[in-house]
Amino acid sequence: MFADRRIGLALAAPAMLFVGLAFLLPVGILLSESLHAPSGWTLSRYITFFTDPLSLEVTLRTLRLGIGVTIVSAIIGYVAALAIVEAGPQTRGRMTALFVLPMMISPVARTYAWIVLLGRTGLINKAVVGLGLSDEPLRLLFTETAVFIGLLQLFLPLMVLSLTSALENLPADVIPAARVLGAGWLTIFFRVILPLTREGLIVGGTLVFTGAVTAYITPAVLGGAKVLMLETLLYQRVSVANDIATASVIAAILIAMSIVTHSLIRRMTGMRRAA
Amino acid sequence: MSSKQVIGLAAGMAAGLVATGAIAQQRTLVVSNFAVSQDLLRKDLYAPFEAKCNCKVVLDVGNAADRLAKLEARKANPEADVAVLADFSALEAARKDLIEPIDVSKLPNFAKLYDIAKDPIGKNYGVGYTFYATSIVYRKDKIDVTSWTDLWSPKLKNRIALPNITTTQGPLLLFMVNRALNGATPDFATGVDKIAGMKGDIVTFYERAAQLTQLFQQEEIYATVTGRFNWPLIAKLNMPIAWAQPKEGLTGGLNVLTIVKGSKNRDLAYEFINEWLSTEAQTRIANDLIDSPANREVKLEPQIADALTYGEETAKSLHVIPPDQVLANRDSWLAGWNSKIAR
Amino acid sequence: MIRIAGFSVLGLALLFLLGPFLIIAGAGLSAGDILVFPPQGFSLRWYAGVFEIERFRESFLLSMELAVGSTALALLLGVPAAYAMARYEVPGGEWIRTIVTAPVIVPAIIAGLALLRYTVIPLGLPVMAALVLGHTALVAPYAVRVVTVSLTHLRPDVEEAAILLGASRTGAFFRVVLPNIRNGVMAAFILGFITSFNQVPVSLFLTGPGVSTLPIDMLAAMEFVYDPSIAALSTLLALMSVSIVLVAERLLGLSRYV
Repeated sequence: MFADRRIGLALAAPAMLFVGLAFLLPVGILLSESLHAPSGWTLSRYITFFTDPLSLEVTLRTLRLGIGVTIVSAIIGYVAALAIVEAGPQTRGRMTALFVLPMMISPVARTYAWIVLLGRTGLINKAVVGLGLSDEPLRLLFTETAVFIGLLQLFLPLMVLSLTSALENLPADVIPAARVLGAGWLTIFFRVILPLTREGLIVGGTLVFTGAVTAYITPAVLGGAKVLMLETLLYQRVSVANDIATASVIAAILIAMSIVTHSLIRRMTGMRRAA
Repeated sequence: MSSKQVIGLAAGMAAGLVATGAIAQQRTLVVSNFAVSQDLLRKDLYAPFEAKCNCKVVLDVGNAADRLAKLEARKANPEADVAVLADFSALEAARKDLIEPIDVSKLPNFAKLYDIAKDPIGKNYGVGYTFYATSIVYRKDKIDVTSWTDLWSPKLKNRIALPNITTTQGPLLLFMVNRALNGATPDFATGVDKIAGMKGDIVTFYERAAQLTQLFQQEEIYATVTGRFNWPLIAKLNMPIAWAQPKEGLTGGLNVLTIVKGSKNRDLAYEFINEWLSTEAQTRIANDLIDSPANREVKLEPQIADALTYGEETAKSLHVIPPDQVLANRDSWLAGWNSKIAR
Repeated sequence: MIRIAGFSVLGLALLFLLGPFLIIAGAGLSAGDILVFPPQGFSLRWYAGVFEIERFRESFLLSMELAVGSTALALLLGVPAAYAMARYEVPGGEWIRTIVTAPVIVPAIIAGLALLRYTVIPLGLPVMAALVLGHTALVAPYAVRVVTVSLTHLRPDVEEAAILLGASRTGAFFRVVLPNIRNGVMAAFILGFITSFNQVPVSLFLTGPGVSTLPIDMLAAMEFVYDPSIAALSTLLALMSVSIVLVAERLLGLSRYV
């Protein structure tokens, strides 16, 4: 460590000033709009928002999809990450790379693939009809299911990667030791694995949840006007009606959501360890 | 990467920015327009105009509501010079002081317009350049549509897309459904309730007409409600799709050209509008089935005329909602739609 | 048993993540005019045709310029900041770190809207400058984080030794530190580039007449076109990202920084 604080500050200042002025300041002004009406400071914009049945439903749907995607990706993520860690170090590296790959590909391309797959003439419907599961193709596009699938595909890698790195740090003999002591797999998971991989779950869970509730492309393309989420509602309100009041409230809700999730997951996993 | 390379990159980037700035210094006319048929319009209108004016036509495309919101957001420092809008959007823009009255004496081609197109929203805030009919478009191998009430035929369950209320076509849909059910109130309550009752059977409420081609092609839908301007694109799909002539009649609308208030290229905007209204441009545009002409001198082959909404008589036969009525009642339609349909 | 179950879930997860690409890559190979899978016939014409579409070419170049420029800018800001926080006792260091990494928490669409409303319009900034501002702010946190990771791998006594041997502090940074964190900086550049290149929500409000990024143009085109061209374009872009990442993984071990 070098002691000269002024040099340190001078080096950090440009980045801080840039982000502060070009990013946080405008976002701050937008957020303050949510508390501001011509008459002065007020909560009326929030009251209007939450008493509007459409906004309320969109908020609930966003939460529902965010929580659902987080839980499902955590379940798949643990199983997949355990399998990855079980494999030898070389396979482990390759598998990690395979999960990093899709994250580097444009979300537009990733979402587009689902239009092709989920459409009435798409592969999934061909399989459903071919296997006799349904007489005619199902309506999958523009449903919550489609949005759920799209979001899960976008954010599952984040969970798998977080959990893999958490499991890698698990002492190698913990699980065999618990087995020897006669613990069942569920016990091992809740008593040993979960507490020891808490950090990974927090990181993965926060990334997946905030990613899912703030995604734009997936709900816009796979959901449309019938399956609005907060992000698409915000875009619609601004672009169609120049409605900054509603947009600022949604912005505040979304930012609050991502901060709250972080601490909530931390607390929940913390209680498990205490119990 | 070394610091030199980083600095080199940054310098290159800065140079790039300056270069983009330099291009912007040329005479450009920014036209805010609907997204449909832009490729053909480039050929029939923008390119010939660019050759004449020695300028560049830059487009900002989107649906009317999108672009109106943009005009409002950028009111102090407008980007667009000419805005192409539905008549009621133009009236709204005029009331919000976003567009300016047009001095029609500067438009030599103005005299050639049908009377209905000359001053549709008053005070010469906009000149009509086309009108269109709106009807049901349907797969004739799957269903036969003869009435607006066929929209809720069991055959179309889960196979129909309707325009969202935020689009130009949304109010027209409510208007005709309401009319078909003998609804009498100006808030179209009967129509709103009908659509609300069937919302579970609707594939999606589309927001951009362009999406319909994809929905038809993928067999997501067998029917929809759209304007005639979208017909050529749908007809090109080579699918058994027909344009309905419902017994209750057709609805439709008029589109206008407006000049954005504070436009920095006003003279160019007048030249452009005059060009668009010219017999030559209107004929080319009509022959490519983009828009039907509002210029009375345009003469079309019968099969072209059939494909468009051609002639002043046809225009007068449409059931239209006057622009001021749209604005007076739109809030109640939106409220009804948001509380009963959108959720 | 459990092992087998674990591996099949892993396999299914990978199929779920990667399968769709194989589908669109295949659909792009169709000889027919309609996007279907399995493709009708086999042809490279849609892949070849992508390069002929002028609006994609323009927005591809713009996206490239934007991604390179804003990532370079973010690194110019981020490398010194990361270095300061790793090596100096900066007053309010935690605060600075929070501020610089805050753009990650703010949903991009909100950032785009806020920038448009309260920076771009009041200052009358051109569209390209607006995009650079937004993208730089979004990429900056990655730059700081990745460079910080690689700085923690570098022991401070190396620079101290250089300084003891008479190098100036600046000299020590350019001669000793920078060469040693080169891989980290390049990894940051690649991550930043890909983040910016694929970014949609922040650009949504910031693009303007005649200036549009490739992903935004693709989103718009997806509604108009239902032929295999978008599938072909998506595949080519995916291949581009994937090859950058693979090369980077080979050379730098990129996944250590993700």
